[in-house]
Amino acid sequence: MNQTAVVNENPGAQMERKSSTPQRNGRWKKNFWGYMFLVPAFVIFILFMWVPILKGLVYSFYHVDFVSGNTFVGFDNYARALTDPDVLTAVKNTLYYMALCFVLGFWVPIAFAIAISELRRFGGFVRVAAYLPFVVPGVVLYGLWRWLYDPVGPINALLGTFGIDQIAFLTDTRWSMISLVFMETWQQFGSGMLIYLAAVLSIPRDWYEAAEIDGAGVWARIRHITLPSMRNLIILMLILQVIGTSQGYQSQMALLDGGPNNTTLTYALLMVKYAFTKLDYGTATALGMLMFIVLGGLGVLQFKLNKEDN
Amino acid sequence: MKSGDRGILSEHDLKQTSNKIVYGIMVLVICAMVFSMLYPILMMMFNGLKSNTEVNTFPPHFFPQEWHFDNLKQAMNYIDLFSYLRNTIYIFVGNMLMTLVVLGMASFSISRMNVPYKKAIYFFFLMTLFIPASSYMVPNFVNLKELGLLNQYAAFWLPAGANTFYFLLLKNFFDGIHPEIFEAARIDGASEPRSFFSIAVPLSVPIFATLAIFIFSTAWNDWFWPSLVMHSDDKYTLATAIYKYVINVKALNTNIKFAILFLVSLPPIVVFLIFQKFIMRGVALSAVKG
Repeated sequence: MNQTAVVNENPGAQMERKSSTPQRNGRWKKNFWGYMFLVPAFVIFILFMWVPILKGLVYSFYHVDFVSGNTFVGFDNYARALTDPDVLTAVKNTLYYMALCFVLGFWVPIAFAIAISELRRFGGFVRVAAYLPFVVPGVVLYGLWRWLYDPVGPINALLGTFGIDQIAFLTDTRWSMISLVFMETWQQFGSGMLIYLAAVLSIPRDWYEAAEIDGAGVWARIRHITLPSMRNLIILMLILQVIGTSQGYQSQMALLDGGPNNTTLTYALLMVKYAFTKLDYGTATALGMLMFIVLGGLGVLQFKLNKEDN
Repeated sequence: MKSGDRGILSEHDLKQTSNKIVYGIMVLVICAMVFSMLYPILMMMFNGLKSNTEVNTFPPHFFPQEWHFDNLKQAMNYIDLFSYLRNTIYIFVGNMLMTLVVLGMASFSISRMNVPYKKAIYFFFLMTLFIPASSYMVPNFVNLKELGLLNQYAAFWLPAGANTFYFLLLKNFFDGIHPEIFEAARIDGASEPRSFFSIAVPLSVPIFATLAIFIFSTAWNDWFWPSLVMHSDDKYTLATAIYKYVINVKALNTNIKFAILFLVSLPPIVVFLIFQKFIMRGVALSAVKG
């Protein structure tokens, strides 16, 4: 603070020297570097964000052909997208996937964050272990889980010792999506857990002290202190999860390529297939636009909540 | 559990039998979780050192009965891991520099410099957050193709400067630096670029390190996008090569497959274990604020 006080005696002299140039020129000079610093980002954002976004809007009305040029086709792409029976399947699968991620996955990091915060010892080690799968590259995990889920793999071996029959986790149509969600929960809950854990640990300890003196039991303390304190964070994470899972396609693609019998064909995977298997970029962009119309509001909601949270 | 000597539970609670039982169950569940996290990853490593017949025996063994370290050598010879590693590092370094320079300067300008219409410019960057990424993935590819960037590293480096999350992280960080420091520099006659590069950048090492972790893990993990953008074998990243030549290949012996997977996951695990405190703090701080 002392330093700034000393330094602040100078600006007068500095200003005098600068204001010898005409006023307008001076303002330009003052803002020059501010603008220059923004120019590269501006160009990059336009070229690689806004142009693709706008091209998405435009090309959804075109038949995209890299060789003989694009042709305007009106609403044909949308018509094709909306009449394709696979789209209905894909929407249903995506909703199923989102529901499973909620039921099997959403509460897991919250529960473990609260539990781990209560560990008196080895808390650090448990955190590292929980986060470890998140560090291993996704492709490696796909290879690993294919083997784990194998009809004669370790999971079936474990089930076998309890007398449960073999389950074809990936190829059975009833199990395929559940198996994927289970794998993803296993892989990803660690990072969510760390976020919740930071929130749990930031709750003042004396609130619990006071509640205990007032006779609140352990569950009452969790229900009336811990969870309400994390309310905003939980809602935010839920929205993030909905945004994320509604666009999910990578594990479905890598492990099963949408099969067996299209049971893991999600909406985003169908879009990817339209673009990069059928090379029908127009219809794929139309599917993307439809997705934007449905999901666009969620991003705004997330932003608003995030602002409140900070 | 240093803070305040108590959590939700107090010492007194733990003396009650019912609470003791619940606490015991909780510890057991956590132990099971830790086991389920470590077992598959360790299994992957040990499988890479078994003979092929042993990997395929049912039920599986945990430790190898004979140790086959030559598997690792075979794994190295199966595909040219080092050239894919080099490609991955190229992408990481280029993306890092782009983020640092382009987004660093832009966020510094918005945060600490004089620019009219600051709000509007800020919103221009921010608005891209509201658009779900998958919805413009296909036109993004078409755009790269039309710009003639396919199969070039620039197709990764240039768009790396268009990341709104990193922009926000950097801006939040610069907002937290005391403005007096820059006032002082300005008054001492430092030009704006100078005060950015010799004051803001050295002060921002923590946030750059956090970004480096994110960018590293993206470069290391992303397999799908590189497989679209790069279409020649010598440009693939490690993850893409693994996906194309290891995961989806049936003819490869399972033990060699695991040896490759082990080699690929080792570097990020080692990096994580060394910097774990720092990385986990970064996750907790930035994942939500982003």
